[in-house]
Amino acid sequence: MAETGAQQIESVDAVIGLVPPPARDGHTVENTIARIMETPVPVKIALVHPPLSSNHIAAPIADGRWQLIASPLLTQDPSSLAQSLGDSFRATFEIAQKLNSRACAVVASDLSATTVDWVSLLLQPVLEEHFDLVTPCYARHPFEGMINRAIVYPLVRALYGQQIRNPMGPDFGVSSRLLQRFASAPRARLHTLPSLVAEAVTNAMPICQSHLGMRSYALPDVTNLSSLLVQILGPLFLDVERYAAHWQRARGSQPIREFGKPMYVEASETSMDVTRMLDSFQLGTKNLSEVWSIILPPSTLVELRKMARVTGPQFRIPDETWARVVYDFALAHRLRTISREQMLRALTPIYLGWVASYALELEHASAEAAEQRTERLCVVYEETKPYFVSRWRWPDRFNP
Amino acid sequence: MWDQVRQSLDQSTVGVLSRLASLLPGFLALLVAVLFSVLLALLAAAVLRRILRAVRFDERLENWGLTGLAEYSPQHSPALLVTRVVAWSIVLSGVVLGLGAIEATVTSELTMRLFEYLPNVAISILVLIVGMIVARYLARTVLIESVNMNLHYARLLSLGVKWLVMVCTIAMALDHLEIGRGIVILAFGILFGGIVLALALAVGLGLGLGSKEVFRNSLERESSRIPADTEEPIRHI
Repeated sequence: MAETGAQQIESVDAVIGLVPPPARDGHTVENTIARIMETPVPVKIALVHPPLSSNHIAAPIADGRWQLIASPLLTQDPSSLAQSLGDSFRATFEIAQKLNSRACAVVASDLSATTVDWVSLLLQPVLEEHFDLVTPCYARHPFEGMINRAIVYPLVRALYGQQIRNPMGPDFGVSSRLLQRFASAPRARLHTLPSLVAEAVTNAMPICQSHLGMRSYALPDVTNLSSLLVQILGPLFLDVERYAAHWQRARGSQPIREFGKPMYVEASETSMDVTRMLDSFQLGTKNLSEVWSIILPPSTLVELRKMARVTGPQFRIPDETWARVVYDFALAHRLRTISREQMLRALTPIYLGWVASYALELEHASAEAAEQRTERLCVVYEETKPYFVSRWRWPDRFNP
Repeated sequence: MWDQVRQSLDQSTVGVLSRLASLLPGFLALLVAVLFSVLLALLAAAVLRRILRAVRFDERLENWGLTGLAEYSPQHSPALLVTRVVAWSIVLSGVVLGLGAIEATVTSELTMRLFEYLPNVAISILVLIVGMIVARYLARTVLIESVNMNLHYARLLSLGVKWLVMVCTIAMALDHLEIGRGIVILAFGILFGGIVLALALAVGLGLGLGSKEVFRNSLERESSRIPADTEEPIRHI
């Protein structure tokens, strides 16, 4: 289905895409559009949104500065979150290119919290400071975004050498230069969310991050954590393989420019119940050793078995072990020693073990302490990178 | 009279010797065919062994999940198994060829039936290989998903799935080989029917005889193990 409204517009300075979460009420999009359009802006902006509900109370009215474009492709499918988000991003990018815009922002968090400041923090660095990619930085809660905290952020930081807090967004600001780069790449080659950062870094495009504040979003189906890991880590590991020539040269990591003020959220005082996660880890060690032995070297397997024998508050998975596990899974993803989907699902018990270890360590810690803990984890990932490089280059020979 | 006895004996001896003499070229041909096929088999085995080692056949099979084949192979090497199968096939072909030189009628029928049966053997081997791969894949998938659902009988489930698929596969392979067709189909049907009947009886009798509490407690125990969409303080995304 084509977008409605795009044909009448010649060009704009910026395009904003609003991708609502799966479970939203009928008027969220209209209210968000109305809220954003209340503020006068010095540039011409096209607001791309999903089709409005048929029983909306009042349609937002476009004026000279704001143009509205409805696109049915802007949606999030909870059963394939990464895929649907990627499609929504691509649809917005295509409209941005058609309209010759200089910048494009996509907002995929809960639209009820989206303000014009949020959008401005995504667009301003592109329009005024000439950054090519603006990544988001949300208010940091010690126990939110665990997959990003445990795997995505440290891995991307260690491999690409830039301290990008949320490499997979999902809210981004993108320049026309990066849009063109994206458009010229084959569609199947790029998975939009992880590839944005990788493309920008490997092409030496300036990247910054904006502190957007609290991010609210509808919880996806967390009973299927293993499917979530497949959706998030699959494209990430594909990019690791694709950009291997680049990240093998990167050393250490550099901070990137930040806009806005960082925000921290303290964790609640209630005790953390990690029994289920520990059960999962122990069950995995007991039953999945055969599968893990195809992916992990013997020394790591022995360590995991030792850890599984420890129960209670003393349970810990050292960061060095965890970093090596993630690197070994990334390598196994490339080598296809077993089916990629099975391999990523088999990571779930070890991931839950690490989360349990993290939760026990930081049970009553402050948000700043949690940030320092994450920083230590990232440093360990960087220090363990030579191990990954060796295994990547000589997967048969280097097997400790 | 003794002259007639001697004459009969002479005739019978000449007859047997003539018969033997007529068969001798055939036996020599058989010997030559067998020797030649043995030499060819040795050569083919040497070449095939080199090729399979070069392509790391054993390791690739292990990666594809066909470790079961290694357990039944000589020296746990599927490459050696394949080499020996090929070698003995060549020798067998040589023997059949040689037999054809001895008595044309009988051996040609035997040869015809053998070659008609070969496609069935090939299909059965293919069915077994595909079945093993599918069984291994499904077993591993069920194992991983059951562990992720915190089910403590994950390994049992996985083994059950694997053997279900293997039993189906073996039944199909035997059917293709036309070995004990009726018995195999009957046994397979009885086995599956028996399992389904046992399950139905267990559930029906259990509920009927007042074991509702047992079932409810068991379900509650299992559902409490499975991570639910609760307001956990930890969020993964």
